Amino acid sequence: MSIVTVQLGQCGNQIGFEVFDALFSDSHCPQGLCSKRENEAYQASCKERFFSEEENGVPIARAVLVDMEPKVINQTLSKAAHSGRWKYGQHSCFCQKQGSGNNWAYGYSVHGPRHEESIMNLIQKEVEKCDSLNGFFIIMSMAGGTGSGLGAFVTQNLQDQYSNSLKMNQIIWPYGTGEVIVQNYNSILTLSHLYRSSDALLIHENDAVHKICAKLMNIKQISFRDINQVLAHQLGSVFQPTYSGEGSFHYRRNPLGDLMENLVPHPEFKMLGVRNIPQMSENSLAYSTFTWAGLLKHLRQMLISNAKMEEGIDWQVRPPLSGLPTLGKMSLNKEFHFNTSIANLVILRGKDVHSAELGAFKDPALYTSWLEPVHAFSVWKTQRAFSKYEKSAALVSNSQFLVKPLDMIVGKAWNMFASKAYIHQYTKFGIEEEDFLDSFTLLEQVIASYCNLGF
Amino acid sequence: MGRRRRRRRVDPADAARALPEAIAALSQTLPAGPSPETFRRAKFDRPEAAPAFWRLLFCVLSPQPPNGASASFSPEAQVRSVKLALRTQGYPRRALAQLPDDGSQGGRELLLALAWLLAREPLPERLLAQNRVQLGDEMHVCECEALASPGPPAPSVEADGCVDIRHLQWLMGKLRFRWRNLMASQQEQCALLGKIHSYTRGCHSDRSLGHLSVTETELLRDPEGGRQLLRRLQRENARLQAALEWRRRELVFWQWMDTVLDACPPEASQPTFLPRIPTPGAGALEPLVRELQALQGELREAVEARREAWEAGVGGRGPEWSAVRTALREAVGQDLAALRRACERSGSLAQPHGPRRLVRTEAGAPRGPGLRAPEVIEALRSREAHLEVVLRRLQGQCRQELARLVGALPGLVWILPPGR
Repeated sequence: MSIVTVQLGQCGNQIGFEVFDALFSDSHCPQGLCSKRENEAYQASCKERFFSEEENGVPIARAVLVDMEPKVINQTLSKAAHSGRWKYGQHSCFCQKQGSGNNWAYGYSVHGPRHEESIMNLIQKEVEKCDSLNGFFIIMSMAGGTGSGLGAFVTQNLQDQYSNSLKMNQIIWPYGTGEVIVQNYNSILTLSHLYRSSDALLIHENDAVHKICAKLMNIKQISFRDINQVLAHQLGSVFQPTYSGEGSFHYRRNPLGDLMENLVPHPEFKMLGVRNIPQMSENSLAYSTFTWAGLLKHLRQMLISNAKMEEGIDWQVRPPLSGLPTLGKMSLNKEFHFNTSIANLVILRGKDVHSAELGAFKDPALYTSWLEPVHAFSVWKTQRAFSKYEKSAALVSNSQFLVKPLDMIVGKAWNMFASKAYIHQYTKFGIEEEDFLDSFTLLEQVIASYCNLGF
Repeated sequence: MGRRRRRRRVDPADAARALPEAIAALSQTLPAGPSPETFRRAKFDRPEAAPAFWRLLFCVLSPQPPNGASASFSPEAQVRSVKLALRTQGYPRRALAQLPDDGSQGGRELLLALAWLLAREPLPERLLAQNRVQLGDEMHVCECEALASPGPPAPSVEADGCVDIRHLQWLMGKLRFRWRNLMASQQEQCALLGKIHSYTRGCHSDRSLGHLSVTETELLRDPEGGRQLLRRLQRENARLQAALEWRRRELVFWQWMDTVLDACPPEASQPTFLPRIPTPGAGALEPLVRELQALQGELREAVEARREAWEAGVGGRGPEWSAVRTALREAVGQDLAALRRACERSGSLAQPHGPRRLVRTEAGAPRGPGLRAPEVIEALRSREAHLEVVLRRLQGQCRQELARLVGALPGLVWILPPGR
């Protein structure tokens, strides 16, 4: 089953390119550490999911590129075409001559309706190329103008037109010290709209990825390209093919559906975070060996202590002891910053994957009281190594990862809103104060729900 | 005057063979059918006959999953399942319900139960229709099959204490996702079937069909599979012939069953449980009838009152007025008649039933026998519309109930979930 990706804005298009590139490179990587037949099955599965075929054999990414300025799209198209290995469809992009100046309301209320028909037609064409549609990826930033406002509008349209298809938004969480003064307004508007029309929000934090580049990859001058490549690596480690079940060697056909069924069935809990391990520069890779026990131990502690990467993990954080009275738990949680999960998905790729011991992830203390580990925890596996890592593990988690960052953004946005700063930029284009209040209500509710998980 | 007919003396050997042959024919049509010798032993209630008959009744009474998962049922579970199924259908003999669960006894009672099932409906024919070999790509155009056989009972989970509503919401969400995945899979299946049907156009020897089905395509691609299909068809043919045999010979079986019934000890007392009738009993109708009559009375009164008020307001106005009134009455009469016709039509709309083979034709091609897709779609759409109306009504009732509850708790702020 195939996934159609909608790349929105500068952010979405640059990241989208890196994602397809990472997926393609990995599926054609010679060091798969598995049999030839297995490798071919893996390639075929990856190809069906993300690429379609053209006559001269160059795979075409199943993607629609949308931006209000032509510059980034042209760069993206030519980068793909020059590689010679894969490319974007000739008629898969939509752009205009003029941007939206980081104005969310302009993107949502003006660009959206004006270009709705053209954009949805492009998506429809891409959908028709699929034998069967698994769902949509929508890659966008949360705080920009075009990507965010237009992205919220497009997602809503997808909900209306393809109500039975699955939609996952890949959202780029801005730097805490961002440059756009209204980025918090944009963020809350984006999030609240997406919460209503999307099925799952997979959130990538710029700050976290930046740290990974600095500390783990040892990159001195970190460019957006580096950040995007790390992000692409994370996405690839989640969505490349995995076996469809325990003891099966057929590749899973419905990754989006399986993931969503296991992680986001509850309408109030849609925010997902990704962690993966190990993450290092290619040079260091040759000198490192890993054990599943070591990797999983680190990954579990990353989950519990809400660490973004495998360095600097706080090993003091422990799961609360069961049998404690509720209030005791709450104060312990606050003190030790324990991250309670609703549901987790661990994805293992590489050598001896079937020998990996996952009992520690099934500890009930990790999870909220109303969901048992047997329902809350799932695992995907494949023997085929990912991107030259002999063993690698990824974690997609529906947990309290994002409560603090979200709370901060909502707080800052509220402070600005209380003094009505910059509101006219929004009301000018049809986003009224009512809409802001609705967004605040929804997000406060989400924060409260996530905070109550500890009980 | 006809030839003096020689009285044909019935050859005793023939008579002796007739019964076992009839039973053998019957057995061949049933899944897990026991041998005639086992039937004979069952008449005399011999213990070695019991397990075979428990197994037979289990296969006959429970809807069998196609991949033979019946192996997962233990003998005790099979016995209990048979007892439950018979009781649901209204089997009156208590002696069977009292047989031990380990399946070691009861050959004669089980034989009687089998005969009871055979007498109620054309059992061999129904089983054969259910398990027939399908050559075409088929789909059901009605929901009867799905509604009649709801599958094995789901294990009921006892909730001890409170259930967290978040858990329920979680489960509902999972169900919705599975529903969407199912729809996506069905769409994929349709797309692929469409491809196969259009690619194999002109390949079928039967012109009215024109193209191959999946099974037929596989037949051509895989000779071994073709041979297996042939064997299945041959087995099915044998079973069909056995069914015909059975119908020709069954009289002697029923005569024999009389002797089996005589061999039973008399029932100690009347059966204490009545067969369960799936419609509401007479007791439920009384209050409904009363309510209906009360409503009719109210309607009559309201109509009378309005008519009087109208007449008083209008007053008698002369000859042209009475002509208008006649015209009005006629128009109303016509409307009513049309309404009645519409009601009757929708009520007795012949719903298509059963599984149908999918055949893809070119637009404008001469119409073959059978249903056309637009007709089926039309029937489904009207059914969907009807269900939507029922859903709206139920949702309205829920909303009213919620509003009532909200009103009862002042000082509570209700925040609606993020929806649109």
